[in-house]
Amino acid sequence: MKKLSFTSKEIQKMLPHKFPFLLLDKCYDIEPGVRGIGVKNFTINEWFFQGHFPANPIVPGVLIIESLAQLTAIVYLSKIFAQDEIGTNQKTFSEVDLEKVAEKVGYLVKVDVKFVSPVSPGEQILLHAEIFKKVGSLSYVKVMAKVGNRPIAEGRLIVSERE
Amino acid sequence: MGIEEVKKYIEKRKKLLHEVKELIIERLGLDLIPEEIDDDSPLFGMGLGLDSVDALDLVVGVEDKFGVQIGEGELLAFRSVNSLVDYILNKEGGNEDGTQE
Repeated sequence: MKKLSFTSKEIQKMLPHKFPFLLLDKCYDIEPGVRGIGVKNFTINEWFFQGHFPANPIVPGVLIIESLAQLTAIVYLSKIFAQDEIGTNQKTFSEVDLEKVAEKVGYLVKVDVKFVSPVSPGEQILLHAEIFKKVGSLSYVKVMAKVGNRPIAEGRLIVSERE
Repeated sequence: MGIEEVKKYIEKRKKLLHEVKELIIERLGLDLIPEEIDDDSPLFGMGLGLDSVDALDLVVGVEDKFGVQIGEGELLAFRSVNSLVDYILNKEGGNEDGTQE
């Protein structure tokens, strides 16, 4: 199956999340239902740096988790673009009912993530999510974030999908 | 099956029961020691009271630790610690009564 990429505009159509809680700028190498890579840039102008912390701006770990969860949602939502398992008849954005897509986003259900290094304004995190196992509507996802080669976070999430 | 084989099987089963309980406690962060988990107590519902999220976490943990692949239709194996140990032993090529193929 061909790997998919989504621009910010497309992500905004697929996810119900909006400002100030849309934490994914773009994504690529998306294998629907399996894995994908995402990017989130951090600028000093983010709403949370004012308070976290005034003397020392650091990206809150929980928001990195949220970015990873949003990437995971894109990974499972993008299954709608694959018409069959072989992927010979991939649909395009105009062919897919996008309102139906965002409806399928479920919840973050369990988090077990370790933070290795803080992220500062001006840095770009690269996010990795891989759906390792799915039982019913729950997916077990291995996640990882880094800035360049510097590891930032790694661990696992369990998320739910609305079927 | 000779006495020696039966003894070996019992030892193996005891060890597995303990390892499974340790896995459950560690993976799900339970505040228990293995001795406090009954072999036959239901894992979900009235026994340990685990839920579907714990179930998925446990499935992945069991697959990882014991090298088995659990299919969606095989989740009944998680009814209790005993049934899980039976499942693992079966998958390893033996039968429930310990006889080998």
